[in-house]
Amino acid sequence: MKYVIVGIGGQGILFTSKVLGKIAIDKGLPVIGNEVHGMAQRGGSVISHFKVGDYRSPLVSEGHADVLMAFDQNEGIRSLAFLREGGTFLVNINEPCALENAHLKKHLSDKKIQTCPFLGYEILDRHMGGNYLFLNVLILGAASGMKAEGLEEEQVAAALKELSPPKHLKANLKAFELGMKVINP
Amino acid sequence: MGKKALLLGNEAIAQAVVAAGCQVATAYPGTPSSEVLPAIAACADRLGAPTVVEWGANEKVAFEAAIAASFAGARACAVMKQVGLNVAADPFMSGALFQLKGGMLLISADDPGPHSSQTEQDSRFFAMFAKVPCLDPSDPAEAAAMVKDAYTLSEKHGVIVMLRPTTRVSHSRQTVEVVEGFELGTPVKFEKDAERWSPLPATVRRAHPHHNTRITRIQKEFEVDWGRYNRERPAKGKAALGVVAGGVAFSILCDLLDEWGRDDVAVLKVGTPYPLPSALVEDFIARHEKALILEEIYPVIEMQLLNRAKADGRWNGVVPSAGELLPEVIERIVLSRLGETPSEPDVSELSAAVEELKLTPRKPQLCAGCPHRASFFAIRRAIPKAINPSDIGCYSLGVNQKAVDTALCMGGAVTVSSGFYMAHKATGQTHPIVAALGDSTFFHMGLPGLLSAVYNKHAFVLCVLDNSLTAMTGGQPHPGLGGKPRKNDKGTAVPIEAAARGCGVSFVEAVDAYSMGAGAEAVKRAWEHAKTHSTPAVLVFRHPCMLLRVPQEKIPVTVLEDKCIGCRYCIDYFACPGLVFDEEKRKTSLDIRFCVSCGICAAGVCPHGAIAAQKEGESA
Repeated sequence: MKYVIVGIGGQGILFTSKVLGKIAIDKGLPVIGNEVHGMAQRGGSVISHFKVGDYRSPLVSEGHADVLMAFDQNEGIRSLAFLREGGTFLVNINEPCALENAHLKKHLSDKKIQTCPFLGYEILDRHMGGNYLFLNVLILGAASGMKAEGLEEEQVAAALKELSPPKHLKANLKAFELGMKVINP
Repeated sequence: MGKKALLLGNEAIAQAVVAAGCQVATAYPGTPSSEVLPAIAACADRLGAPTVVEWGANEKVAFEAAIAASFAGARACAVMKQVGLNVAADPFMSGALFQLKGGMLLISADDPGPHSSQTEQDSRFFAMFAKVPCLDPSDPAEAAAMVKDAYTLSEKHGVIVMLRPTTRVSHSRQTVEVVEGFELGTPVKFEKDAERWSPLPATVRRAHPHHNTRITRIQKEFEVDWGRYNRERPAKGKAALGVVAGGVAFSILCDLLDEWGRDDVAVLKVGTPYPLPSALVEDFIARHEKALILEEIYPVIEMQLLNRAKADGRWNGVVPSAGELLPEVIERIVLSRLGETPSEPDVSELSAAVEELKLTPRKPQLCAGCPHRASFFAIRRAIPKAINPSDIGCYSLGVNQKAVDTALCMGGAVTVSSGFYMAHKATGQTHPIVAALGDSTFFHMGLPGLLSAVYNKHAFVLCVLDNSLTAMTGGQPHPGLGGKPRKNDKGTAVPIEAAARGCGVSFVEAVDAYSMGAGAEAVKRAWEHAKTHSTPAVLVFRHPCMLLRVPQEKIPVTVLEDKCIGCRYCIDYFACPGLVFDEEKRKTSLDIRFCVSCGICAAGVCPHGAIAAQKEGESA
C-alpha cells in the first residue's frame, strides 16, 4: 500500500501519516515513509510519502501511489503523476470548479482515477466553527468513508483516540464523522 | 520482541544513543538533524538515564564540549547538520588525530536536494578529509543499529566516528523497536597527559602516522567484519549489471528491482563509505562486466577506487553531480545502463492541465501573523535605499518582501554588513546598511562579528528579530531564553540587549515587532546613531513566534474593494499568505484559509487605506 499526501506547510499533514502508521502497526504490518520538516515546511508545498508492507525506501515512485490525499487542490493536481492507474484521489477543494479543466478531466478518466473532491473549508466553516486545523482528520474520515485501500472506520477511529491530544479528541472524532459523511451522506 | 513504534529516523538514532550509554550529548539545531537532541533528552527522561543533554550556542561549541567529555572518559555525542560541521571544522580536524578515551560519535546530517540548506555538501567527504571512519545508513532502523557499532569502533580505536544520515533517513518514519534500557556509561576520570591532549607540532608528527595506521586497520575491519552493513544482494545467474550503492540510494534501488521483478542486477551495499572496504568493492566491480556507483552526494566511494574508469558514476557523467537521487533518477540511470528505455507513463493531459491552470510549486514563506513580516516591512519602509544583509533561518524568507539582499551563512548578517561598510569606506562613501538576523543566530555566530564591528567602528544597524525560539528548525531554546532539553533542567538566560552592550554597542533599543510605525522610527534613529558615531547600533524587534501559539488579540481585517487600486504593494512588500491577488478583478483579497487576524496588515500597509480592521459586528 502506497500513499502520497500533499498540501501546504502548516496544514497538519504529519498527523495524518501518524494515524495511518498507527493503523498499520496495529495490524502488525511494517511501515516506512518520509515527511517534510524545516524550511521546506514553512508555508510552501509539502509532500509526505507513506508505504505499508515490505519496502526499504521511504519514497513512492511516480505512477505507483494507490492513494493521493490532497489537502490543497493545486498541490493535489500538481502531484497527480504519483497516482497509479485506477488509484484513489481524495482532494480538498476550495473552488467548486477546481476539477473542471478539460485536460484534467481527460487525465482522470484515462487513468481511471477514482476522484473524491470535497469542500473541506466549507464543511469546517459550517460545523466546526471555521477551525481549519481539523482538515487532516476530515480527510481521514473521507478516506475511510471511501474504504480507500482497506481503511476501516473502526481502525481509524481507534487510532485517532490513541493519538489525539485529549483536548482535541472530541472535535477530532466529530471531524472524522463529517469526513465519513462526505462519502456517505 | 519488544514494543514497536513508528519512529522518525532522528528519534530512532536518539534512542540508540541513549541505549548505548552516551553520557554527554550536545547539538545545535539544523534541518535535517534538529530532532535528534530533543529525542535524546526525551528518551533519557523516560528511561531515567543520566545523560547530560545540552544545546551549544553553535556547532563548534557543541562539538568541543562533547569531545572534551570523551577526553575525560565519557561516552559523548555531538549532533549537527552538514553546514554546522563547517562551523565545527576546527575542533573536528584536530580532534580527529587524538587518541580519545570515551566513545565519540559525531552525527552530521546531510541534505541532498537540498530541502532546507544553503549547500548540498557531503559530510562523508569531510570524514575522508579528517580521516575518520564514516557510517552511511540506508534507513532509520539501520541508522539506529549503527550507533552502537559506532561507539564500539570509536572506543576500540580511540577515534571519532561519524554517522551520516541524509534527509531521507532523518525525516523518514519506520517501524522500530522501542528501547527499554540503556548501557552504563564509561568511568569518568581525566588523566593529565599534555602530550596526548595538546597537539603541538612535535606531537602531531607522531600522531599523524599513527592515525594513518589506525585508519588502515579500520579499513581491514570494514572489509572483513562489517558484513551487516557491507553486503551483496546477488543476482540470479549472471548479472547484467553490478551496482555499488550507499545510503538511501541502496534502499530505493532494492524497491525498484522488487517492483520490476528483476533478478539480473547485483547490488553491493556499502554502509561504510570511508575508509572504503576497497577489497570488497574492487572485487565486486571486477566480477561484473558493467558496473555503476550510486551514492549521495559527492563521488566519495568513486574517488577511493584505484581505477574508477571500470565503473560508471559521476566521473563520466552517468550519475548527475547535483541533486537528490530520487527513484525516478535512479530508474533512468539503471535502465539506461541495462540498455533499456524507461516506460514513461503518459501524463501529457496532466501536464497540459498544470500549464493551463498555471500551477507552480508554492514557495516557503513566513507564517501568517509572523512578527518577522512586520519587522521586515518596517525595516524596508524606514530606509528604502538601505542595503539589507540577512541571515540563515526564517528571516531569509524576507526575500519575499524584497527586504533581504544577502544571506551568506550563520551570523553573516553582521559580518556582511561590515564588509559593505568597508567597501563603501574605501571609496569615500557612507551607505545605509540595515541588517537582520534571528535571536538564536545572534548568539550562534553574530556575537564575534558584532564585537569586531564595534572594535573597527563599522556603521550599520543590526536588527535582532527575537521571536523567543529557534523557529525554522522547530522551536528549540537558545541562550537568550535559558531553557534546556531535559526535564527539570534550567539554564541561565542571557538577554540579547545585555550581550550587545557587553560587546560595546552604545545604541541598544527594543520594540514590539507588531508596532511597525515605532519600528520604522527606531530604525531611522539607530542609523543616525550608527552614522554619527561610526559604530554598529542594535535594535531588537520582539514578538513571540506564531508556532508558540501565545494568545493575542484577534483583529479581523477586510480589503475594501472600492479603495484597492490593484497596485500589488501589499503583495510585493508584505507578502502574507492571508492576502492574495485576484488576477481577474485586479484587486487584493483576503484568503481566509490562512489569515489569522493578527491585524498587522491593517496598520498602515496599504498606501491607499484599502486594508482595514473590521468594525465590530461586521462580517468578513
